[in-house]
Amino acid sequence: MVLVNNRDRVDWQPGMTVQDLLDKMGYSYVLITVTVDDALVAKEDYASFPVPDGAAVTVFHLAHGG
Amino acid sequence: MATADKKITITIDGKTATVVRDSYLLQAAQGLGIDIPTLCHHRDLTPTGNCRLCLCEVEVRGKKRLVTACNYPVREEIRVETRSPRVLQHRKILSEMYLGRWPNVPVIKEVAAKCGVTSSRFASELTDPNPKACILCGHCVRACAEFVQEEVLDFAGRGIKRHLTMPYGRVDKRCIGCTSCAYVCPTGAIEVVDGLNGPVDAKLIRDYGMRINAEMATLDKFQCAMRDVGTANIVQVMQAYDLLPTHNHKFGAHPDEIHIDTSQIKKRVTQGMPDGCWKGCSMACAKVVDNFVLKTGPYQGQHVAVDGPEYETTACAANMGCFDLEFVFEFNFYCDTYGIDTISAGTCISFVMEAFENGVIDKSHTGGKELRFGAKREVLELLHEMARGEGFGVDVGQGIRWLKEKWVREYGADPAFLNDIGMEVKGLEFSEYVCKESLAQQVGYSMAVKGPQHDEAWLIFMDMVNNQIPSFEDKANALYYFPLWRTWFGLMGLCKLPWNDVVPADNKKYPPPVAAKVPGHVEDFFKFFEGMTGIPLDEEKMLQQSARVHNLQRLMCYLLGGGTRQDDMPPYRAVGPVTAEEYESRVERYDKQLRESVGVDPAGKSTEQKVAILRKYRLDQYNKAVDAAYDRRGWDRNGVPTAERLKELGIDLPQVMALLRSRQ
Repeated sequence: MVLVNNRDRVDWQPGMTVQDLLDKMGYSYVLITVTVDDALVAKEDYASFPVPDGAAVTVFHLAHGG
Repeated sequence: MATADKKITITIDGKTATVVRDSYLLQAAQGLGIDIPTLCHHRDLTPTGNCRLCLCEVEVRGKKRLVTACNYPVREEIRVETRSPRVLQHRKILSEMYLGRWPNVPVIKEVAAKCGVTSSRFASELTDPNPKACILCGHCVRACAEFVQEEVLDFAGRGIKRHLTMPYGRVDKRCIGCTSCAYVCPTGAIEVVDGLNGPVDAKLIRDYGMRINAEMATLDKFQCAMRDVGTANIVQVMQAYDLLPTHNHKFGAHPDEIHIDTSQIKKRVTQGMPDGCWKGCSMACAKVVDNFVLKTGPYQGQHVAVDGPEYETTACAANMGCFDLEFVFEFNFYCDTYGIDTISAGTCISFVMEAFENGVIDKSHTGGKELRFGAKREVLELLHEMARGEGFGVDVGQGIRWLKEKWVREYGADPAFLNDIGMEVKGLEFSEYVCKESLAQQVGYSMAVKGPQHDEAWLIFMDMVNNQIPSFEDKANALYYFPLWRTWFGLMGLCKLPWNDVVPADNKKYPPPVAAKVPGHVEDFFKFFEGMTGIPLDEEKMLQQSARVHNLQRLMCYLLGGGTRQDDMPPYRAVGPVTAEEYESRVERYDKQLRESVGVDPAGKSTEQKVAILRKYRLDQYNKAVDAAYDRRGWDRNGVPTAERLKELGIDLPQVMALLRSRQ
């Protein structure tokens, strides 16, 4: 299980990357900042950065528009 | 070796670096602390390699060649030498040539010295002793094109006759005096002559303004694409997050959105033009659809330019169930031409459509028009009637609040249902965001002084997606800071889009509550204020300036008979699902909330029962959030600024206080 934004529980899968998680959550926003267990993940690493089982992930969407 | 496709490991002067594919060699070297001389490179402008001083020797699969580091994209494993004998020899000759032509220009002398050259064998009749001579680096040409997209400056002539000019050697009227060219000029060949508008410190404004210009030139294409498609960039974002209003704010997404989404709009808007909203704005988000042929109305058959469409107008079409770009353009054009607000018209007609579909009104009331969701032709007919002041258009032009009252009074309509689905607060129609899942946005909308427009508090993502303001106190703090900050733009006559529709590259270094404020850009705007007025500004002073006006506005509403708690109550559609149809469309979400937040097992309950239980819970939450927001703002539980708050803000004028007492 992965906890996203201290609220949403997502089933963990072996080999899960940040990009997998974003896809699963449907997060397609441009201005986002991702941390996995408090480690900041660079955008170019989303496809390779592993999300361990039990990780706490934050996906911060910076408001634009509006 | 390549790692995960996007990163490549390279070797520069024996040092190893991992770089992002397609990044430039010069950046990679600088990242390793290796200094490579350049004259024409500027970190915020497209590299051109025209000075040739950044030459490096690159070895790819055993073959060596010279490349200009500033515009050499790294795409495979390479070995690089930045100071090989061959490289140094080239740089030395080039430096001598530059020094021969411009012997007294400081940047030339400095870069030549780095290359071991202090004198030149190449003095000639071209030698220019001016220490501020133009060295043809091209910074100004690129700044003109990339910062403000004007392309007024360019080079003319070839070889030794190459020189900087405006078209035909004359001052071009398109030059707006933005000073970008002078700002990036490394020699002082272009100088700024200040004087317009009399700012106290023009340089301060310029220093911070250029930061935004540079971000627009370098970051926008990776962020919001405002230059490409303007605010319509968020149509597909809203759809993806279930926030795009469809069918009178019932739902937040629709399968037909694909016909009006950002990519479709992008194909139709005129591209590559400087901004049509505010000349010189480097964001340049206003767009035009050229050569559009109108199909209805007084200008039917004419080819026209349509200003837009913005996100809101496009979302209005979704709200009316009209998923057709041709309709969006026609609706946009005629609203603009008639002087009708697209948001008010779109939301009001959406309400009319739902009322029609529910039998509140019928064709006998609408002049024979079958005003169901998706009725594009009928909407346009209605719009023309509104403008002509004829038929049903006269009624619809009065807005939702007026329609509700008339339909209850004259047609015996159910006021509870109309109040639930009529998307207005304080008589103003909602703008185009579905806020059911964001308590902070519901309160922000409804407490906004002039009604539910999104300018005061746009907190949906912060609240609903990020979960960064979970408590009532958190929400109240956001509902204090952001409305005041956004009000401040209005007070200053500034556009807020450059605040958060492009974001500094280093904004990620801040924790979310701070990052949400975009501190780098807040600083920019504070410096603009200081540069113009000479008065330093900080967050506390800004909030004070804004709160004085914001509270006076609220007080005026109160003294005019509004501005109280009942005026801050939204239609239930803004808070939760009104109908069984809405509940069933997101049944998993609502059942989960019943189980986890309300503590009620939805099993065995009818949809109508579940709607009722959820409604009670959500309205209770809404009222608690309002209480917290009032407390934070220094308003009483009726939403009226307290005497203490007015005193604190220095707006406890005797006349104001007397009026306030007379109402209490």
